[in-house]
Amino acid sequence: MLGDIADRISRQLNRGTEVILAALMVALVLDVWIGVVDRYFFHWQLPWPEVLARYLMIWAAMLAVSSGIARREHIGLTAVLLNLPAPLRRAMLIGIDLMTFTLFFYVLWFGIGFAESGAKRQAMILGATLQPFYAAIPTAAALACVQVVLVMVRDMGRQLDLPDTPSEEGAGA
Amino acid sequence: GGTIRFGHDNKTDPFENPAHACTAVFQNIVTADTNGSVTVEVFGSNQLGTAAEHVQQVRDGVIQATLTSTGALASYYPRIDVLNLPFAFANNASTYSVFDGEFGETLAADIEDALGDVVVLGFPDTGGFFAVTNSQRQIANLEDFDGIRIRTMTLPSHQKIVQALGAEAYPLSWGEVYSGLQTGVIDGQMNPVPIISFANFAEVQKHMTLTNHLFSPYTFMVNKAFYEGLTEAEQNTLHAAAESCVTASRGLSRIIEASDRGLAGLMDKIEVTALSADQRAAMAGATQPAFEAHVAENLDAKAGELLTLFKSEVGKANDASYLD
Amino acid sequence: MIVGLCFVLLLAVGMPIGFAIGLAGVIGIFTMGGGTTFLAIGPSKIFNGLNIFPFLAMPFFILAGEIMNSTGITGRLVKLAEVLVGRFRGGLAHTNMLASVFFAGLTGSATADAAAFGRTLVPAMVKQGYKRDYACAVTAAGSIIGPTIPPSGLMVVYGSLMGVSIGGLFAAGLLPGLVICAVCMSVIAIGGKRENLPKAERGATLGEIWQTFLSSITALLMPIIILGGILGGIVTPTEAASIAVAYALFIGFFVYRTLTFRELYAMLVRTARITGVIFVIIAFAGILGWWMSFERIPQAIASTVLGLSDNPYAIIAIIICILLVVGMVMDITAILIILGPVLVPLTEQIGLEPIHAGIIFVLALNISLMTPPVGACLFVLSSVTGEKLERISVKLAPFLIAEVIILFLFAFWEDAALLLPRALGFAP
Ligand code: NA
Ligand code: NA
Repeated sequence: MLGDIADRISRQLNRGTEVILAALMVALVLDVWIGVVDRYFFHWQLPWPEVLARYLMIWAAMLAVSSGIARREHIGLTAVLLNLPAPLRRAMLIGIDLMTFTLFFYVLWFGIGFAESGAKRQAMILGATLQPFYAAIPTAAALACVQVVLVMVRDMGRQLDLPDTPSEEGAGA
Repeated sequence: GGTIRFGHDNKTDPFENPAHACTAVFQNIVTADTNGSVTVEVFGSNQLGTAAEHVQQVRDGVIQATLTSTGALASYYPRIDVLNLPFAFANNASTYSVFDGEFGETLAADIEDALGDVVVLGFPDTGGFFAVTNSQRQIANLEDFDGIRIRTMTLPSHQKIVQALGAEAYPLSWGEVYSGLQTGVIDGQMNPVPIISFANFAEVQKHMTLTNHLFSPYTFMVNKAFYEGLTEAEQNTLHAAAESCVTASRGLSRIIEASDRGLAGLMDKIEVTALSADQRAAMAGATQPAFEAHVAENLDAKAGELLTLFKSEVGKANDASYLD
Repeated sequence: MIVGLCFVLLLAVGMPIGFAIGLAGVIGIFTMGGGTTFLAIGPSKIFNGLNIFPFLAMPFFILAGEIMNSTGITGRLVKLAEVLVGRFRGGLAHTNMLASVFFAGLTGSATADAAAFGRTLVPAMVKQGYKRDYACAVTAAGSIIGPTIPPSGLMVVYGSLMGVSIGGLFAAGLLPGLVICAVCMSVIAIGGKRENLPKAERGATLGEIWQTFLSSITALLMPIIILGGILGGIVTPTEAASIAVAYALFIGFFVYRTLTFRELYAMLVRTARITGVIFVIIAFAGILGWWMSFERIPQAIASTVLGLSDNPYAIIAIIICILLVVGMVMDITAILIILGPVLVPLTEQIGLEPIHAGIIFVLALNISLMTPPVGACLFVLSSVTGEKLERISVKLAPFLIAEVIILFLFAFWEDAALLLPRALGFAP
């Protein structure tokens, strides 16, 4: 019951995150294209494509972490777990989720101070400070914290109990 | 007493680069003269982070000292940009007297004021004046810059200077510069001579002009709380050691320029052009107004005052002649 | 010591690798004392660990590969390999290997290769009478070709972190990639009788080969566009990745017209997620790496290695062994970030060319992806096909030995390793 609610919230939150991810990816591709086209055709000598690309990439990669958590795509070693009796395995998987929460809570906690420190630093583009870019870290950590709690409630350590179905998506690069 | 963890972003060979020469000299003098009550541990080669991260780490007391480039300091202290006044210095000796003199003191005090958590101990040499290399043509006169695509750091003032010369400025990440020059993605770049030599740009460039248009020293800073926790005698030792550190960085920079790792080594591989006073004056005339407009537009009044002082001190230093 | 123990424990109980690295790093920093002064460093290490422009090449190459795949190009590449080498004994095994070479231009990672062929070619091979463990072993052995022939995700990371020309590394990867293919095909041929591999029913006509070639030319052009764009001075390696995306979009929308905006949306999101999974490892490795540097652990490891021998060949061999062994239990990108700053300076001290050192690292780490007990490629194959890991490992042994020999060959024979980089002007 609680698991279903958690599942629904997790999905909706992730759907929103993924819309932003797609938008960031499009922006990234366009940004680098503009840099190339500028050099060959327009000669505007834009100062921002390289810098902006790095910051967009960080926003995209960090936000995607929560999406990977929602879909349990961050892979660990399962050899030991799979050889444990189910109750013990579930306890350990819940333990891992709690430790993951701790890690991202740490990142969130100190990330807020980090983002604030960015307000006093110049980004050297568009007259902005580094704050909007540094904010990627606490924002993504907060999302990750929420998602890890939601999927923990959803799965309660049972995610490895399901019969082995071949995953439909490539396992990374 | 205490331990100074000293971070920098250069190779850890005191005979290879000015930053590590400086830290090695500092380490030796501080450790010896305080009888080990203050020790220095040097972390080079970006081990603890980038130059900009080092500044934050000094401010936060994670490490106690760093040498930072003007580019890395700019995001914390935008007024450092006034040092980019192009074609200012007539020779190396002028840079020494300006950064050791009234301007250096004023700049150090302003950095300390603006940041509030550091003490500036000096302005070591990073390797000397900037030169411009390119693959298109020999550049001797202002007109020769026309349309050449030059890679710059992501510093607005550097871009403005290149554009005022009539060239095109494109920021490119450092890791892509060599292959960019090699394949022709860009035509040229600008850097101090030892960096041009070290990065093997002569392999992929035909012409080098000793424009000497920029000089960017390191800023040697220590954490203020740490500094204030030292005894007065220890603080004096730090200042003395810093002065020797700056001297060592300058000496090694000149030696590298003169060795096969500098200009002497580049002479065989690339066509080197030095500028006459008239040619330099033309370039200064084209770039300095653009730079001053940039400072007026983007920086505050305090920066304007610093720039005025910088110009007058540089003028005095250029006019003075050694032991005369 | 405590940190190392925590890390191994976290890994063993199945914590995702990036998170285990992050938590170990935070524990390390915590043990330094100093309260929040040191702990506050974490977010800055995360941000700056990712703040590297050439890293962008990774999501772009992944995206380009995704788009190309959606056009069904993988199937055409397999068909092309089949008409070329399918007629021999063990035809589909040879096909698998050669298809990995063709596929390499579309992928930068070994796991992507293993996943793609594990899903398509392994079932086809089993249907034709191959044992499943053997089919998996061939796929695993061939998967290393993907990240060796450009583009290569690991080369992007190596080049950006160590300041080595990514274009030069790409050039250096071509020859080893082809040699691995040739040698593994020899291993298949030699073992063909003993394994009783099936023969294909028929050969292909020249006309058929030409037709298949034409139908897959769009994919074969991809590495040429990437390398050509770099060498022709049009784009930097990072920008080349964005051009690969443009090319794939053009092929998807206008040549095959199979691409829809709905699919593209899914691909963008999936690319971002795959990137996130990799980049979170890079980000958290930055925290662990900072702690290690602060405690001077890299120097201790380096002096230990140098204390073992001062013979350059011995040092190269030790480095390779470290990479292969650590690669068994740890993510290879994380290894690069944590051990790279330790081991790469050693290669400088013994006078190795930077590109040569780079190709040794990339080859060794990719090979470690298929070493038991916990190679990532083996995991992928095992989960995709349902075959037992141990059984794949047994059949993999001859291929693995051959590839390690190739690795040592290129490690000790500088002229071979730098043949192409020198010819293309990337190395002196
Ligand atoms: Na590849
Ligand atoms: Na294969």
